[in-house]
Amino acid sequence: MPNLKELSKKKVRLTGGHRMCAGCGAPMVVNWILKALDDDVRAVISNATGCLEVSTCLYPYTSWKDSWIHTAFENAAATISGAEAAFKAMKRKGHIDGKYKFIAFGGDGGTYDIGLQSLSGAMERGHDMLYVCYDNGAYMNTGIQRSSATPYGADTTTSPAGKVKPGKEQFRKDLTEIMVAHHLPYVAQTVPVIPGTPYMFDLYNKAEKAFSIEGPKFMNVLTPCPRGWRIDTATELEVVKLAVETCFWPLYEVENGVYKINYIPKEKKPITEWLKAQGRFKHLLKPENEHIVQKIQEEVDRRWERLLYLAGVK
Amino acid sequence: MAKKVLMKGNEAIGEAAIHAGCQCFFGYPITPQTEIAAYMARRMPQVGRVFLQAESEVAAINMVYGAAGAGVRVMTSSSSPGISLKSEGISYIAGAELPCVIVNIVRGGPGLGGIQPAQSDYFQATKGGGHGDYRMVVYAPSSVQELVDLVQEAFDVADQYRNPVMIMGDGMLGQMMEPVEFKERQTTRNLPEKTWAANGLRGRKIHNVINSLYLKPEELEAHNKKLQQKYAEIEKNEVKYELYNLENEVDIVIVSYGTLARICKNAIKMLEKEGIKVGLIRPITLWPYPKKAFDEVMDKVKLGFISIEMNEGQMVEDVKLSVNGRKPVFFYGRSGGMVPTPAEIVNKIKEIVGGAK
Repeated sequence: MPNLKELSKKKVRLTGGHRMCAGCGAPMVVNWILKALDDDVRAVISNATGCLEVSTCLYPYTSWKDSWIHTAFENAAATISGAEAAFKAMKRKGHIDGKYKFIAFGGDGGTYDIGLQSLSGAMERGHDMLYVCYDNGAYMNTGIQRSSATPYGADTTTSPAGKVKPGKEQFRKDLTEIMVAHHLPYVAQTVPVIPGTPYMFDLYNKAEKAFSIEGPKFMNVLTPCPRGWRIDTATELEVVKLAVETCFWPLYEVENGVYKINYIPKEKKPITEWLKAQGRFKHLLKPENEHIVQKIQEEVDRRWERLLYLAGVK
Repeated sequence: MAKKVLMKGNEAIGEAAIHAGCQCFFGYPITPQTEIAAYMARRMPQVGRVFLQAESEVAAINMVYGAAGAGVRVMTSSSSPGISLKSEGISYIAGAELPCVIVNIVRGGPGLGGIQPAQSDYFQATKGGGHGDYRMVVYAPSSVQELVDLVQEAFDVADQYRNPVMIMGDGMLGQMMEPVEFKERQTTRNLPEKTWAANGLRGRKIHNVINSLYLKPEELEAHNKKLQQKYAEIEKNEVKYELYNLENEVDIVIVSYGTLARICKNAIKMLEKEGIKVGLIRPITLWPYPKKAFDEVMDKVKLGFISIEMNEGQMVEDVKLSVNGRKPVFFYGRSGGMVPTPAEIVNKIKEIVGGAK
């Protein structure tokens, strides 16, 4: 990868002036992914409905320097499939030249839930595209409703924590593994750029690798949402770090079916570290909810052990 | 008498449904109605009932199909683009003759449109929306109290006719807070027992079948004829409307519904001061359409009727069919989330009245 000085000179493809919340992780993720494109490459981007879409394209303004299209909530992958198919046809007939990359961005609601069908279809058909899910663990755009990516026990407006219910009562869907089951050339799970960590450029490196591979690719990026996670914007990357250090969100990639874990913590932190950093899990720290924390820890361990096994580490 | 509480329209919808005996609510987030789902997520478990968040609007409406088929009172809610996704399911529910309540807190369209108040789903709600020859009762409340009353009525009407019923409001109604009273009400309707429900044999020998598939054209036509008879019955019995300022002769009659009708009432008061007499027909059921209201007031109208809408004139056709050539029909509309002010309406009417003089 280029050094920091070179990176700073690369084109900024998602410019300022958009209306994302202060501290929102999504534009950071988008900009780092787009930085992995060479400056002479043009991006064609489709965007599922969500915070990122609605806040970056307040018509007649746009923050996007590349071709950008939005359709209904469930269709980012289908729309980019259509654009990519049209590009191929135009190229075959000699109507278009130059370097293009096809990218779709969607949040977890638009990807794990309502958009899963079109994502699966696009991946199976094998379009030359990269789908990026910025997973902040709930429908944040409509005011924090649970999604199938919401972690167990999280308090959301449609999984409210109260005297009887502990917040969301299901473990999160493992979308990265669902994508692996599509036998894609490249699937990766990562986090935003966190300075000072051994995995600081994990996101950039994975985007760069994804763009170098032909065919359907998928990246799942844990993205902080200060509003929904009930955290201070200044600490958000520390919180994401805890997701990695507790193995709640392992950094790994699967290239042609071969698993590789990109970071194995020397000492896995207990899940309470990740939970107690966020207001959405506040209720879980009460003594009467200890069994729930235990249950969450067991599930994190189970999934981590399974990943170690798949990667041949254990 | 129950005491009045100050409540947001969306939350009042949820509470009204609970009062009406709604056992299951299936939701999905979309602005400006997400508070209905959030309210139900909190309240339904408290009263031992079911709240489920679906993975899409398509899933939510088909959950409604399942629960309605089992014979329980069930509701779902969404806003315009989400109702488009639900339309397939609504058609199936109408075809299979299942009772349910669907709430549409309308936003401006087409496409993603906006999130501000609009009435641009009039065609979708009253002329089909989904495929096939079906009809659905559509209520258009204009205050939070009326919203509450109509949600309760909607469940009764749905059960009586085994038909989907829609409550159509807009973001203004959904988001605004007004005092409401949840009256202890006894239905005066003779609601049939749900002997058709697929909820176990219960001693019967023959299975109940819930179905909308008829491969033999003769059978499908017979099914359609039966549905049409039911719709004719609904048209005869269930029309609701309000007449305002129509006791005496007027220069012109506004036809307007929902929150916009309240704005029109203000305009009427302003015009009164300038010596222009204006009445209002406020359809409360958009289907069945209150055609008879027009017959009732026809002799009192000097100039004609004006349909005032928050869309580009979707209701004009129904107004024209009701007027049936007896008087001219005018139109004034704003769309895309623009809400007309009373002054705008006053100006438009003065233009027509002035021109006609």
